[in-house]
Amino acid sequence: MSKFSVKIFLLAILCLASTFAALTIGPASISTQELVSCLMGVCQNTVTEMVVWQVRLPRVLVGLVTGIGLACAGTILQNITRNPLADPYLFGIVSGAALGATVANITVANQLTIALPLAAFVGALSSVILVVVIAKALQRMEQLLLTGIAVSFMFHSITQFLLYLGDPFATNRVIFWLMGSLARVEMSNFYVISTILLFALVIIFALHRQIDALLLGDESAASLGVNVDKLRLAMLAICAALTATIVAYCGGIGFVGLMVPHIVRQVIGVTTVPLIIGSALIGGTFLLWVDVIARSALDSAEIPIGIITSAFGSIFFLLIMYRTRNNQEAR
Amino acid sequence: MKLLYVLQIIIIQTTRLKMPQIGKPVLRLKFCLYFLFFNIAIAHAQPSTQAMLTKLNKSKPTIIALSPHIVEMLFDIGAGEQIIGTTEFSDHPEQAKDIPRIGNYIRLQLERIIELQPDLIIAWKSGTPSDDLARLTTLGFNIVYSQPNTFEDIASEIEYFAQLTGHSEKGKDLSSKFIADLNVIKTKYSTKPEITVFYELWSRPLTTIAKGSWPQQHLDICRANNPFKDVNSPYPQVNIEHVLQQPIALIIQPVSFNQKNREGFNWQDWLTIPAVKNNQIIKPDADALHRMTLRSLGELEKLCEEIDLVR
Repeated sequence: MSKFSVKIFLLAILCLASTFAALTIGPASISTQELVSCLMGVCQNTVTEMVVWQVRLPRVLVGLVTGIGLACAGTILQNITRNPLADPYLFGIVSGAALGATVANITVANQLTIALPLAAFVGALSSVILVVVIAKALQRMEQLLLTGIAVSFMFHSITQFLLYLGDPFATNRVIFWLMGSLARVEMSNFYVISTILLFALVIIFALHRQIDALLLGDESAASLGVNVDKLRLAMLAICAALTATIVAYCGGIGFVGLMVPHIVRQVIGVTTVPLIIGSALIGGTFLLWVDVIARSALDSAEIPIGIITSAFGSIFFLLIMYRTRNNQEAR
Repeated sequence: MKLLYVLQIIIIQTTRLKMPQIGKPVLRLKFCLYFLFFNIAIAHAQPSTQAMLTKLNKSKPTIIALSPHIVEMLFDIGAGEQIIGTTEFSDHPEQAKDIPRIGNYIRLQLERIIELQPDLIIAWKSGTPSDDLARLTTLGFNIVYSQPNTFEDIASEIEYFAQLTGHSEKGKDLSSKFIADLNVIKTKYSTKPEITVFYELWSRPLTTIAKGSWPQQHLDICRANNPFKDVNSPYPQVNIEHVLQQPIALIIQPVSFNQKNREGFNWQDWLTIPAVKNNQIIKPDADALHRMTLRSLGELEKLCEEIDLVR
């Protein structure tokens, strides 16, 4: 067994074990034995059945696919832009989703169950489309990230202006929605995210050689027969659809897409296939544990998940900077 | 709203909603329609007293109250003992502090609520997370809403909750007395000359109130003129320059028990404002003034009296 296979096998075991462990932890006290028998279809009472099947299982499964999705999107975006700071959210996805969520909160506050994810999804996709259109008009596809940041600020200012004029409760709802949470998810959300994730993974694996060629530089990739602009656009569209769907259901969960690929590069490898497999396993495991902290750290309340991922993310980033500095000094 | 329920029932009846049957296109459409109408319906629904009493089928149901003002209302009608869970900041009366917490205005702990199995959940329509409420409704919990926008709404909600919780008589008495007392205050101040006031809701940034906000009705009843009443946002941020242009005779600076140390706006720098020059700054109890409960009437009366002294 190669070293790579051993690492992937161990990460897969860790991911599976984390999924089961996350199912056993929650505000309602359910023993492991009760949980196992309930998962087998023999629940001791209706309360346990409701907690396990309607609340905990959907939440854990959505947490898993959300972590996988965000980490894979981050990995692909970092590779196709050759920018270690690329993150799904830098393309204006969250600011677009926030604008959509704000409009939904102000106009149809009584029908948010359907309207909010829909509006957030439309907002996120509109933002990415705008970024791509502007970058194309400028004929500078390599400046996608800078265009993304500019569009983000533009959407952000519109959101803030609407919130300033709107109902104060809408402001609260949008602010806390942006902090991210898995508390509102249902089993149907898991099916939707999983389908898009599967579709994205199939395309990424099919095009992994072309994506790897991009790592050598645009000119080298082109000389190898890769249509750089088309590939970059296709990957961006896939990542945008995946992230927009996740943001629509779970709000803004930052830093997962940014930091997980960096860990995987250190531990597993830099080319697409090992990077994607590693990012999926570490991203999924990471978000499962972050959600466990979110729902069990406080006695009577939940911590929005985005706060925890950002806290971990910022510390991790400082560590990367420190390590880079040490490496440079050593040279 | 009734139409939505009727549509929902028709769709359920015709679909005989069982998942394996949702394969044919027509049934898929019906399922989608059911889903759409169901969600719209649950978001708006306030069941009638009779419908909810039939559902509850209990004289003293157990309750989860999802905001401090609802807890206070329930204690007022004598249903405090029936509350088995509430949200943070439910601090009045003193016994309310002992009720187990199951979340806050950001997020509810669904697992804890399922575990507690309340007969009835009373939620604050605009203040409780709507997605959590939608989940609780689909899980089959009985939910009614509180959304008092006026003093009269407090009276009607007191009566409604009293009927649901098995305290009808007390609810009726409290409600009638509340309305009678409110009318006395309204009559007393209705003919008084207007006085211009500034309501300092928050100091940094300087934030006041306008039409559509809860405290604006206090000012209307006390015949106090709010120069910012017609601003589009209910809680607008204002520049001190805007305030300086107004003949402000009184500054109202409500202070909450939970935020005693909050720094108020330093009005002493602005002696050109008549209220500052004459030291006419009052600090009513924000908790009683801003919480939509029976207590707010007492605070309204005090506020009107203090405004009257400056007139």
